[in-house]
Amino acid sequence: MSAPNITPELQWSIEQFYYREARLLDNRQYQTWLGLCSEDISYSMPGRNNLLVDNRERGHESMIEVDRELEGIDSDGCPIRDENYIYLMLRVERSFKINAWAENPPARTRRIIGNVEILDIAGDEYSVVSNFHLHYSRPGARDFFYAGQRRDRLLEVDGDYRIRRREILMDMADVNVPTLGLFL
Amino acid sequence: MLDPYSLVNDDASLISRRCWSDASVYEAEKQRIFGRSWLFLGHESQIRKPGDFVQAYMCETPVILARSEDGQVHASINSCTHRGLPVCRASHGNTRRFVCPYHNWSYSVSGDLVAIPQEKQVAQCPDKSALGLKRVPRLESWRGLIFGSFNDSIEPLEDYLGDMRFYLDAFLLRFPAGIEFVGSPQRWVIDANWKLPVENQLGDVNHGPFLHAAIIPAEANQEIVDYGYSVVTQPGHGATFRLLPEDAPVESVGWGFESIPGQTGGAELQEYLREVHAQASDRVGPIRARMKGLTYGIYPNLSFLWSNAAFKVSHPRGPGKVEYWSWSVVPADAPAHLKKILRANHTSFFGPGGILEQEDSESWMQQLKGANIGFADDRPFYYGLGLGEEKPHADLPGLVSSTANEFYARAFFQRWRDDLAAEVRA
Repeated sequence: MSAPNITPELQWSIEQFYYREARLLDNRQYQTWLGLCSEDISYSMPGRNNLLVDNRERGHESMIEVDRELEGIDSDGCPIRDENYIYLMLRVERSFKINAWAENPPARTRRIIGNVEILDIAGDEYSVVSNFHLHYSRPGARDFFYAGQRRDRLLEVDGDYRIRRREILMDMADVNVPTLGLFL
Repeated sequence: MLDPYSLVNDDASLISRRCWSDASVYEAEKQRIFGRSWLFLGHESQIRKPGDFVQAYMCETPVILARSEDGQVHASINSCTHRGLPVCRASHGNTRRFVCPYHNWSYSVSGDLVAIPQEKQVAQCPDKSALGLKRVPRLESWRGLIFGSFNDSIEPLEDYLGDMRFYLDAFLLRFPAGIEFVGSPQRWVIDANWKLPVENQLGDVNHGPFLHAAIIPAEANQEIVDYGYSVVTQPGHGATFRLLPEDAPVESVGWGFESIPGQTGGAELQEYLREVHAQASDRVGPIRARMKGLTYGIYPNLSFLWSNAAFKVSHPRGPGKVEYWSWSVVPADAPAHLKKILRANHTSFFGPGGILEQEDSESWMQQLKGANIGFADDRPFYYGLGLGEEKPHADLPGLVSSTANEFYARAFFQRWRDDLAAEVRA
């Protein structure tokens, strides 16, 4: 069941925005991609913990809900990434320097964005979740597979969108990939 | 095992590639280094209340660090006495009992066996007092930092840390209520040998202007050239820092100002950092108030990165794999909303998502490949930069030199070699 004002046209235009974003990132057009971010963006990746099961929650979905595993930016704990526009600019600048050795030669990435679901509309701001699968390959290394969910707030600007908040949930239980510093 | 003296030459200016890649060397490290040293387990701020626990490792040995009702801290090996399963699966939490899922043998947080469900059905009840979780035999804490050792006869922790306490106190005593660890560690499995992250944080600020040229500004590197020191208090322990001039402005010398949060985190945060610095001379003395730290190392595998306020442990997982943990640390008395700003100095620069550390981890993985090349064993790695140039200093304990001198790494490998050889030759 979706809110009455989520039309097929709106769904289509947001999906198109994500496909364009994915193409820019896989083409390594990070400077152009940064233009899709609002300058007041909050870009974060929570840590994920393995927790005790609370006996009092037995039988309820809340017992094993995903959100209780997360150590995000609003917690008193420590997220994996907690960034604003300045950090993203720094990462984009770095990508186009010859001594960004972790991407020299650059990783080959290919991502599929799916399960795009508009959860809420508040004025010109849309709460959207989407899933991603990303294949990551660098010479001389194993290939890596990244899966996760993005929880976004998109701002509508002149018929296009800007990413105002992105929270990225990574699904790996043990982090054994070369980097979580990608644009996801 | 290979003879340690064939791996590391007398002055440790030549380090064999096998030190990093040989399986028998690694097995010896487990016994003779990790089995005999003080190993960092956690910080008291992680287990404030009775029943609080966190998981830790001593090399590959899983350990539960917990606080019992009487306020005591306990370290037990996370393996049931009955069939060996881990009795704790959570990374941290609060509990009264650790219960093995297989047959429900249950243990108190101090590791005592309190229930065997099957004992009612057998005639002879086992002596539960002898069947608790295996305790880590030595457990000591200094300034909230908790260490354990498998070595019954190891020297007291304070003696082991020795003059490193002078340098650790420059940070830990800077804040009226000390420090606290923020949340869970970032955990990261890397195809690298455990010693290279250790060496990187023990004194290798040399790589900064080169490997990190995309991020670290030239002025920051020049400051290290102008005011930087590398210190070895005893082999395996070391620190690097800048000792700024007496007239250096607070924005230059004060802790926290050189970070992005320090520069962009707002007026209230800057005011807080100014207050911390205003008290620094009273709290740690005039010399240490001018210290602007970089990297610290405590033998064998604990690091402290002052500039980004992080404690790190390099947990070996074989000769070619490491599980690298890092915690963000903040002043314990800082207001909660400022702690959230300060923690970003660690999170976005280090750990698996780190802007800086992605270059380091890449180097550590590539070094492992270099350590595994056939037909290159007659070309050990060269560790001779600055050989013999370190000297005592009037105000700074230990041997002191410029940061380009690799004596911190030579001293580490001399201790490492002698530790590996100790039992071989006994």
